[in-house]
Amino acid sequence: MSYKLHYFNVRGYAEVSRLIFAAAGQNFEDIRYERNSEEWTKHKNEMPLGQVPVLEYDGMKLPQSKAIARFLANQFHLAGKDNFEQAKVDSIVDTLYDLVAAFIPVRMEQDETKQKELAKKFFDEELPKHLKNLETLGKMYSNGGSFFVGNQLTWADLTFYNFTDLIFQSNSDCLNNYSWLQNNRAEVEKQPKIAEYLKNRPKTM
Amino acid sequence: MPTYKLYYFYGRGRAEIARLIFAAAGETYEDIRYEREEWPSHKSEMPLGQMPVLEVDGVKIPQSMTIARFLSKQFKLAGKDNLEQAKVDAVVDTSIDLAVKYVPLLMQQDESKKKEEIAKFFTDELPKHMKNFETLGKLYGDGSQFFVGNHLTFADLEVYDMLSYVVKIDDKFLQSYPWLERNRQEVEKNSKIAEYIKNRKETPF
Repeated sequence: MSYKLHYFNVRGYAEVSRLIFAAAGQNFEDIRYERNSEEWTKHKNEMPLGQVPVLEYDGMKLPQSKAIARFLANQFHLAGKDNFEQAKVDSIVDTLYDLVAAFIPVRMEQDETKQKELAKKFFDEELPKHLKNLETLGKMYSNGGSFFVGNQLTWADLTFYNFTDLIFQSNSDCLNNYSWLQNNRAEVEKQPKIAEYLKNRPKTM
Repeated sequence: MPTYKLYYFYGRGRAEIARLIFAAAGETYEDIRYEREEWPSHKSEMPLGQMPVLEVDGVKIPQSMTIARFLSKQFKLAGKDNLEQAKVDAVVDTSIDLAVKYVPLLMQQDESKKKEEIAKFFTDELPKHMKNFETLGKLYGDGSQFFVGNHLTFADLEVYDMLSYVVKIDDKFLQSYPWLERNRQEVEKNSKIAEYIKNRKETPF
């Protein structure tokens, strides 16, 4: 059964799914549209909600980046070993999405003065709150290991890795005071299939 | 049999979806509700200093959608396999997309501004979300009135809960969306849900 992932030619909301495919060593068709292209306009109407990412699998088109990623993680046993572990993983992913939702307006602000102001507030006040929450959950659920849940790699770790990559583009020092989180990132990067993927992936935003 | 405790405020808000799932499943739980004044003394007991939180055999899980998904999987209201669960998740994520835009308008303190903003939202923004729901319901519902696969799932309950906030403002709004109207009626026909709604106390939110 083949997988097709439709998205733009960026990391954005599809990259977590691409990381999951990589960690699982699973092939997939990595379809990338250039934004504002004729090709995208042509395909937009084929997508259930007129949006991407969309996963095509077994004749089904699935929208919504989180739903896609969770489906793939479950397919490849990267979601947590039972319902309760999966809930722990989900709670970390939800907390990460809360963080990204707070970051997006900062990143998208065009006015330079306003952007500096928003960034300062985000990095001084908002981000530390979320990082503290993530360390709390990691320490609660990790069973003493370096991964967020149950002492093995899950999509919680991949989502954290991906979102911090994004935030690092604005401030590469933001994890300096969070040794547990830094160590978690290091563990993810060390995984051979992930390391290989990171080395070879297209250089895009 | 695990014991469940649900912690929240005296209101529907972000906990109601979990309560609807417990009700639909006919499962018991301790429905703990804190008054606003007593919440500060309990805040540090919650992993992220927020509610809702679900405690399962003494272990706490934060994040409202994670809680709801966990419970729906426990009680077989999540979709019968990974593919169905992914479709359910896509519908739920689409409901969250609406919540993120709509709920802040409901929290506006200035009454006349609130009325104006909501009216504008109903005209300019809400139809798009309704159309998205109907698209997914028709795509995944297997010709039934349920969102996914011909039976009640977390998707139906989440959209039911979300659209309660629409119907409350304009009880005729769904008439323009017959599929959604029938889906809502289908949920209300469920005897356990009907019983729960009948006995549910009116709360400020």
